[in-house]
Amino acid sequence: MTPVALILWALVAALAAMVGARKGAAGLRGAGAFAVGQASVLLIRLPMALLAASFLTQILPTDKVAAVLGPETGLSGILLASVVGGLLPGGPMLSFPLALVVWQSGAGEAQTVALLAGWSVFAMHRMLAFEAPIMGWRFVALRLLSSSALPLMAGLLAAAVLGLLDILFL
Amino acid sequence: MKIKTADWVFVGVALASGAACWALLGPSGVRAGLGDAGDLLLMIMPQLGAGLLIGGLVQQFVDRERVAGMLGQNSGFRGLGLASVAGMLTPGGPFASFPLVYALWVAGADAGALIAFITAWSLIGINRLVIWELPFMGADFALLRFFVSLPLPILAGLIARWLVLATPLKIREAPRS
Repeated sequence: MTPVALILWALVAALAAMVGARKGAAGLRGAGAFAVGQASVLLIRLPMALLAASFLTQILPTDKVAAVLGPETGLSGILLASVVGGLLPGGPMLSFPLALVVWQSGAGEAQTVALLAGWSVFAMHRMLAFEAPIMGWRFVALRLLSSSALPLMAGLLAAAVLGLLDILFL
Repeated sequence: MKIKTADWVFVGVALASGAACWALLGPSGVRAGLGDAGDLLLMIMPQLGAGLLIGGLVQQFVDRERVAGMLGQNSGFRGLGLASVAGMLTPGGPFASFPLVYALWVAGADAGALIAFITAWSLIGINRLVIWELPFMGADFALLRFFVSLPLPILAGLIARWLVLATPLKIREAPRS
């Protein structure tokens, strides 16, 4: 068990105690039914999504990605990083190691910010495995439209902050 | 249990990426992929189980009227700010957060608040920052990314509310439970 999992299970115990005290066994049964209903949706989809993400990680060409995302690539690099970030498969256990590899192979800091923001906002695996099954495609469409410019903005803001720091401290 | 069309899509995507892996890297690439997927599944299961239960338990508390008032479509800027802070503080992966989003939706939160919540959770989540970003990317990078991203969830929520008002794009009615 990771520390996060321990904290989550402690939270489960605390919440269960509160629900039990307030609503008794019926409340706990209701909560359990909600959890089981959701779990049955994920039973096949989650393992398949994990498999797909793991296979894609094996074949992703990280060295070529870094060459087109250098600090001097500016806006086009930030734009590309936002898109590539959205295509990064897997959760943080995959994307942060990948982002570090890309950054160390020569990507700029602002481009790496956009990459991680793109992954955070678009995360295809998350959309397929959780968001669409739970919230429906119309919600996914609305969310994507609402946040499509965010990674670009994060990258540009980061470039502006870095530029400002350069002027102030050099 | 019933196997739905969407399940087959997932099976197809997994098989296709596995085939691509085999074609490019041979059996050893596929073995590495299978091993990674197994590790991930083992790592995720305890969090997933807890996340689903938290979603179910939180649902027992939330008072539909109150959440609708605090995070509903008339909750204004304050509702979006509140949803962002809640998202920022929500720990765990999507397996933990989406059941919660669903619970808030059923409880009366509007699309803008839900989108601000998800965006905050994914973009400026404290839990992810501490556990993943600081160790991998270092404090300078993590803080830069955190601060430039800070206003973005509220912005996404505002855009979502505007889209719901000004375009035919709407999310479906929240399921009653």
